[in-house]
Amino acid sequence: MRKLFALLLVAALAVPATALAAPTVEDLQKKIQELSAELEDISDRVDRNGMHAATDRISWYGDMRVKADTLHYKDVTWNPGILVDFDDFGAKAMSGAFGDPADPTSPLGKMLIQNPDLATAFGMGLLSGVGPFAFPGGQKSDINNDILYTTRLRLGMKAKVASNVNFSGRLSMYKNWGDSTGSKVFDSWNSFTMDGTDGGNTTGDWLRVERAYFDWKEIGGSDAYLSIGRRPSTYGPPTQFRENEMRGGTPTGHLVNFNFDGITVGYHLSELTGIEGQTIRFCYGQGFESEWGNGELFNDNSVNTKDTHLGGLNFDALNDGTNFLQFTLFRAMDVNDGFKGVIAFPNQFAALFAPTLYQDLQKFPNFNFVTRVQPSTVIGDINLAGVGFTREEMNGIKWFASVSATQTDSNGKAGMFGGMLSDAVFQAELNADGSEIIMTPARATSSDKEEGYGVYVGLQIPAPAGKLGLEYNYGSEFWTPFTQAQDDMIGSKLATRGQVGEAYYIIDINPNMFIKVGGLYYDYEYTGSGSPVGTPHKIEDVQNGTAFSMLPAVDKAWDGYASLTVQF
Amino acid sequence: MKRISKIIACLAIVALAATSALAAEGGNPKKGKYLYKKNCKVCHVAGAAGGALTPLSKTQRQWDRFFEKDGHKAAPEAIKSFSPQDLKDIQQFLYDHAADSDQPETCG
Repeated sequence: MRKLFALLLVAALAVPATALAAPTVEDLQKKIQELSAELEDISDRVDRNGMHAATDRISWYGDMRVKADTLHYKDVTWNPGILVDFDDFGAKAMSGAFGDPADPTSPLGKMLIQNPDLATAFGMGLLSGVGPFAFPGGQKSDINNDILYTTRLRLGMKAKVASNVNFSGRLSMYKNWGDSTGSKVFDSWNSFTMDGTDGGNTTGDWLRVERAYFDWKEIGGSDAYLSIGRRPSTYGPPTQFRENEMRGGTPTGHLVNFNFDGITVGYHLSELTGIEGQTIRFCYGQGFESEWGNGELFNDNSVNTKDTHLGGLNFDALNDGTNFLQFTLFRAMDVNDGFKGVIAFPNQFAALFAPTLYQDLQKFPNFNFVTRVQPSTVIGDINLAGVGFTREEMNGIKWFASVSATQTDSNGKAGMFGGMLSDAVFQAELNADGSEIIMTPARATSSDKEEGYGVYVGLQIPAPAGKLGLEYNYGSEFWTPFTQAQDDMIGSKLATRGQVGEAYYIIDINPNMFIKVGGLYYDYEYTGSGSPVGTPHKIEDVQNGTAFSMLPAVDKAWDGYASLTVQF
Repeated sequence: MKRISKIIACLAIVALAATSALAAEGGNPKKGKYLYKKNCKVCHVAGAAGGALTPLSKTQRQWDRFFEKDGHKAAPEAIKSFSPQDLKDIQQFLYDHAADSDQPETCG
């Protein structure tokens, strides 16, 4: 290569001076120096490109974010209780199915001794219909986590398989400092490590496959495309503004921020309609696998789940770099009362439901047993719809508004934590050896359709050295989006049943590095944000003891944060 | 404390230096896109005199080289009417959307 450049230099020198229009020696020398610099530059680039083409088949890129949060929860209330079918309980007790109530060794006798209030009410004939059975242990407190550090590493990869086929993927690690267990004590749906939320949940120092998919474009020379694999279904619009990055996913982030496996069939309509960026897509996915790996071959009737299938339409009506208008229609069929996942079992649950186990656990107060959980019951379907608009003004101002709705269709069935936006009604039964009365979920309190809605607006304006952002979102009582993988520490702000305000300041150090400082304020109105399971109860009702919640209910919370992100 | 102040000052200087070292700084990509669509696409679509050209046709470095060294040699008169700021805006737009720039991460 160097020989070639030397020859070129000699050739350049050999050109008559008149032809170069540089008659003086100084000008000639200057030209030679410029040419030399140019050739060195070309040589350098050719060498690097040659090496890259010869050795790399995947292009890597990524980003790393280190973040400090200060988390403050106000009036966290745990007021556990369940709804019991007392008519059924009374009938079984009166028939003697639970043994003699006067015998302290019978199942009923033992239960009445352990629950004197229940015994009194039972004796007075006050127990009828479906009513609450409160557990001791309710408490209310403020909780402060003054400092929580996290690191999020995302490694993106791309490969060109053919002229119209690409592979894309992203591996991600998200951990809190000093923790690599990957499982947390189950104290909220946000703590539940599962397939759909791994990318946005601190899960230890493991790289996980957040997304991996092929795009087969221009199929048969048309504008149709097919995409298969683990979807780019997180960080969609308009959430890219607060992330200070480009659009990070296909569907609206207001309704979907959740890892899915599936297929997208799309068509770029721009050529037909002349409207820039117009694309329509049909998406199909599976959110839960019921048979494989669930012990199905034992043919045990205690678990009766189905595969959860998802399908929907996603339409970018306009996407011209300034305006972006997107419509989404989505349906999740045969939703189960949870996902497969791993949790550390809260000892408080053992104290309530498994006294024998708890007796042993008391000897190891700093031990939690880690267990795999899975749903037990199909509870219904969920429909989602939304429309979002974003605009990036010429002067750097960006703003957006998104309105979305969810509709749940309960089938009246319930698992341990409830049915579709409804609580479980428990019935008393004897355990296998007839020595103890246990409570099993029999049905849901409701089989109604429930509609919820969410509103999300935001503004980002240029500020000295960066941008200033303000965002607000509200979710109604029955608001049930799929945004649980959003990596806000307190919980997906967009899943909140209540309101959330956020203000942030982004300092752009250079185009690939920025600092973000900000704060989030959550004002929860109802319990169960981010979960389709269980009746949303008013937080104040849980606080004053007229409603129960098996998981702690948070009233208000705020999260102050500072982060440094480097993109490479 | 003094030492920390010095470290912070050094980091700030490094950050500023790093910023100034990067190319295609200071242009308004939105205005650049508007100018590009209004003026450049006349010649730079498939079948036109300049041939099809989009931001993805070059890498960031290639776009920088184009603006800093080439100066539209093929038809210099085509960009004569642009002010230096106009050119900076167009350069910023092309740089921001170059083949090796951050791209939207969607399935198509």
